[in-house]
Amino acid sequence: MDGGSPQGSGPLIQLLVDRVVEDPATDTRIVVLARKDGDLEHFMVWVGASEGEAIKRALDTSVTTRPMSHDLIKSCGEHLGITTARVVLTDVKSSTYYATVFLENKGVTRTLDARPSDAIALALRCQAPIYVTPDVWQRRSGQQLDAWLSKLETKNIGA
Amino acid sequence: MITQMQVKGLMFDPYNNAYIIILRDDDQVEMLPIWVGKAEASSISLALEKVAPPRPMTHDFMKSYLDAFDAKVISVVITDLNENTYFAKIHLMYGDSEYAVDSRPSDAIALALRTEAPIFASESVIRKQSSDELGQWLENLKPEDFGKLDS
Repeated sequence: MDGGSPQGSGPLIQLLVDRVVEDPATDTRIVVLARKDGDLEHFMVWVGASEGEAIKRALDTSVTTRPMSHDLIKSCGEHLGITTARVVLTDVKSSTYYATVFLENKGVTRTLDARPSDAIALALRCQAPIYVTPDVWQRRSGQQLDAWLSKLETKNIGA
Repeated sequence: MITQMQVKGLMFDPYNNAYIIILRDDDQVEMLPIWVGKAEASSISLALEKVAPPRPMTHDFMKSYLDAFDAKVISVVITDLNENTYFAKIHLMYGDSEYAVDSRPSDAIALALRTEAPIFASESVIRKQSSDELGQWLENLKPEDFGKLDS
């Protein structure tokens, strides 16, 4: 692994998108990511409703009649020969996560600043791996949220 | 034949709980309404008002994706209207080649506004869209329907 590990604070941690949960209290979605190495702790990112739906559609591999925004980005990449190599969740400031998207074309790598929702929505469509820096993993939101989340999901089932 | 269009406005359609982008040609003769969802309308509104959000929104990301490899948006064209669905093409210039990418008009317009690319509509789309119908529809709107878009 190279790149994206800013302070050499250990290797990046690969994440897999586990599910997208609706937060009934607000018009937001919670993207739940699991560690690829099997560690049971989760990483959660709050995103807007439409951003959450864009991730959910990719996760469910559901096909829309017309290309949605991230399908369009993927399609532009396919036309131009740009591949999404990986995305890394690089920072968190005042509860806002920052992501970097690594793009490649003919051996040239470019990095783009992105919201995690766009980075994840694109990564899923391009089968690109998603990583988090050890620093951001350590500083992730409320680690007791797993319990809260399972309660929320139980409640939703009854609703 | 294609006609260049300008984005004249954005309004809320309370009957369909959607937003409408109004495109007009330079002579103010033709009008093309395009129904879009809330997220798309919000993105177009940010571009129209030249608001720079604290974090890049999806179409800002799309622009920087193309900028990263010096791909240019030459133009976008609303190409077809079929059962109330509009089709668009984004024309990209990359190296010495031109590419046409299939897109929803909302994405095409949101990207065109950010890259200052011209927006065109094909003649057939304008012909299919009866302005009479729209005029009637507009008359039925109440003044309060023309609220500012909250995004």
